[in-house]
Amino acid sequence: MHALIPALQIHGLAKSFDGFQAVRDLDLVVPAGQIYALLGPNGAGKTTTLRMVTGLARPDAGEISVFGVDALADPIAAKRLIAWLPDEPLLYDKLTPIEYLAFIAGLWGVPAADAEPRAEALLQRLTLWDKRDSRCEGFSRGMKQKLALAGALIHEPRLLILDEPLTGLDAAAARSVKDILLEQVAAGGTVILTTHILEVAERIAQRIGIIRAGRMVAEGSMAELSVGRAEGTTLEQLFLELAEA
Amino acid sequence: MSMLAQVSPGPGSLPWLVLHDVRVKARGRQGRWGRIIAIVLLAALPILGGAGMAWRVRGGADLPQAALGSVGAVLLGMLLVMVSSAYAHVLRLGRDRGELELLLTAPLPVARVVAARVAGVQAVVALPFLLLTAPFFLFSAAFGHVTWVAGPLVVVAVALVATALALTIATLLDRLLGPKLAKLVAQVAGVGLAAAVFSLGQAPNFAPKWFDAQLAYFSQRPPAPFDWPSQAVFGQALPLIIVLALALAAAQCSAWLAAGRMEAAPADPTAAPTLSAPRRSRAVRFGGSATAVLFGKELKLLGRDPELISQIGQQLVFMVPILALIFTDGDITPARLAAAGVFLAGALSSSLAWLVLCAEDAPDLIAAAPLRPGVAIRAKLAAALTPPLLMVGVLALVVLPKSPIAVAVMLPMALVAGLASAAMQSWTQPPARRSAFRQRYRSSLLMAVGEFVLLGSLAGATRLLLAGSWWTVAALAVPALMLAGVWWFRPKPAE
Repeated sequence: MHALIPALQIHGLAKSFDGFQAVRDLDLVVPAGQIYALLGPNGAGKTTTLRMVTGLARPDAGEISVFGVDALADPIAAKRLIAWLPDEPLLYDKLTPIEYLAFIAGLWGVPAADAEPRAEALLQRLTLWDKRDSRCEGFSRGMKQKLALAGALIHEPRLLILDEPLTGLDAAAARSVKDILLEQVAAGGTVILTTHILEVAERIAQRIGIIRAGRMVAEGSMAELSVGRAEGTTLEQLFLELAEA
Repeated sequence: MSMLAQVSPGPGSLPWLVLHDVRVKARGRQGRWGRIIAIVLLAALPILGGAGMAWRVRGGADLPQAALGSVGAVLLGMLLVMVSSAYAHVLRLGRDRGELELLLTAPLPVARVVAARVAGVQAVVALPFLLLTAPFFLFSAAFGHVTWVAGPLVVVAVALVATALALTIATLLDRLLGPKLAKLVAQVAGVGLAAAVFSLGQAPNFAPKWFDAQLAYFSQRPPAPFDWPSQAVFGQALPLIIVLALALAAAQCSAWLAAGRMEAAPADPTAAPTLSAPRRSRAVRFGGSATAVLFGKELKLLGRDPELISQIGQQLVFMVPILALIFTDGDITPARLAAAGVFLAGALSSSLAWLVLCAEDAPDLIAAAPLRPGVAIRAKLAAALTPPLLMVGVLALVVLPKSPIAVAVMLPMALVAGLASAAMQSWTQPPARRSAFRQRYRSSLLMAVGEFVLLGSLAGATRLLLAGSWWTVAALAVPALMLAGVWWFRPKPAE
C-alpha cells in the first residue's frame, strides 16, 4: 500500500519573485524508491521548486505532498521525512563533525541510542571519522560536502533532496556520494537531485524531469524520453533539444 | 587623444595601479553620496577647529619649546594607533587573491604591484590623521608660521614608519606563531589597543588627578634625539630631513617585506584548509531536545570565536562614557549600579542577539528542520541573554548586601533591556555573516542611535523607579513606543 504513495507529488505549483515567474503551474510525481533527476538550465526553477518542497519558500499557488503528507498544511510532519542538501554545505565552521551530527540529530529528534552509532557509521563511511574532533573551519570543500551529506542522512530521511551534490568533490568523493545515493534507494529511500553533470543523471536516475522557464517540458525514464528519437540518443542531446530550445 | 587621456597615468604604472585599487574599493561601498556628505561634514570640524587654533598661536615662536614634549607624546600616540590600523590592513594584503593574482600574472614587475598595495595601506593609515591635523598646519603657515607646513609631511612620515612596523610585526608573528594564530593574536591585540586608547581618552572623567599627572609628565621636553620628530613638525631643517629619510627607508622596507609576504604565502593562508589538531576534551552528547541543541550550539559558536569575544568586549569598553554619565559626581550608589547593569546587559544582549539571530551560519538548515514555530528563536534568545544575565547576576551579588530592592528592580529590568534590544536587532537587521559584526551599524546610524535611546531610557527608568519617581512611567513609555514603531515598520520577510 505504502509503495503506491508517491514520495513527492506536486500539482499546479507556482512561485514568482518581484514579478519574475520562477515556477509556473508545475506538476510532478516522484515515485517512492527511485532516484529522480531534475534537470534544467540555470534559472529554470529547479532550486526554487526544491526549496518549496523543503519548506524554505512558500508557493504562490499549488499543492505539495510528501509521502501523502500535505507539506503546506503540515510542514513539520513533511520536514521529518525530508533531508535537504544544497550545493553550499549548511555547516558551522566552529563545530566538529561529531558535534554537527549531534546537533542535526537533536533538531530532527533522533534518539541518542540511534544517532550515536549512526553518526559513527556515516563518518566512517565518508572517511571523516579521523577528523571527527577537528573543527570544520579547516575542511576542504569536498570534506564539508561529505559532512553535510552525513548530516542529511543522520535522521534517515525517506526523501533525500540534493541540489548539485557533486559540486567540488574529487573523483573518489563523488563516487562515494553516488554509491550512498544508490544504497539509499536500495534501502527503500527516494532521492531527488539536480545536477549539471548529465552523465551522472543518465547513469543513476530511474526517472528524469527536464524543466525550462519554470515549466516541466519532459518527464519520464530515459527510455520514455528517447521514444521517437534516433537510437543511441544521449541525455545530453535530449537536454539540449528540450531545455535549450 | 583627449586631455583626460593625456593626464591619466599610463596603464601598468604605479599610479595607475593605485588608482585601480581606489576605484575597486570605492565601488564596493554602499551609499557613496551619503559617505561623501559625511566626510565633508567630518572634514568641516577640523578645518574650523584648525583655523581657530592656528589663529590663537599665530603670534608665537616658530619653534615653541614648551610644546615639544606634548607634540612628541601626540606623535607617539598617533604612531601606536597607526600601527594598529596598518596591522589590520596588512593582514588583508594577501586577501582578494583572485584580483591580486590577476595582477601578479600580468606582465608587470611584482614589486610594482606590491608597492601599489602598500601605498594603499599607507594612504588609508595616514588619511584620517591628515584630515585632522593638516588644516591647523596649513592655516598656521598662512598666518605666518611658514615652516609649519612641514607638519603634514611628518604625519605622512609617521604613517610610513607605522606601516613598516606593522609589516615587520606581522612577518615576525607569522614566523613565530604561524599565519592562523598570528592573525588571531593580531586581531585581539588590535581590539585591545583600540579599547585601551579609548579608555585612556575617558581618563579625565574617571581619574582626573592621574590624568593631569600623566599630562604634566609627557609635556616635558624629551632629550635629543627624541625631540627631533617634534622639531620636524615645526619645520626645523635637520630633524625634518632625518625624519623624512627614516620614513623613506621605512617605505622601502615595507615594499620589501610586503613582497616577501605575498610571494611566500599561499592564497590567504588563514583561509586555506589546515586541519586543527583533533582535541576531544569531552564526549559529545547525542539526544538533546531541539531547544537544547540549538542553545548549546549558539553558546559553543560564541565561545569558540576569540575575535568576536574581543570585539564584544571592545564594544562594552565603548560604553564607558555612558557609565561616566551615570556615575557623574563620583558616587557609586546601588541605584546607579543597577542602572549601569541594565544598560550593559542590554548592550551585550544586542551584540549577542545580532550574532545568534541575524548571523546564523546555516539559516536554511534551521528552517528545514521539523521545529514548531518559535522553538528556534526562543532557544537562540535564551543563548543570547544568558551571558548578559550572568554578568548582571554577578553585579547583583555585589549590590545585594547594600540594597536588595535595587537587585529586585535591576534583574527584571535587565531582562527587559535584553529582550528589547534583541527584538530591535531581530526586527531591523538583515541576515549577515558573523564576520560583519563590527560593521552591522554602518548601514543604519538610526538603528544605533535608536538602541542607545532605548537602553538609556530603560537605565533611566531603573534609576527613577528606585528613587520612587512617577517619571518612571514616562521613561518606560519611550522604549515601549520605540519598540512598537520598529515592529510596525519592520521589513517584512520576503518569501
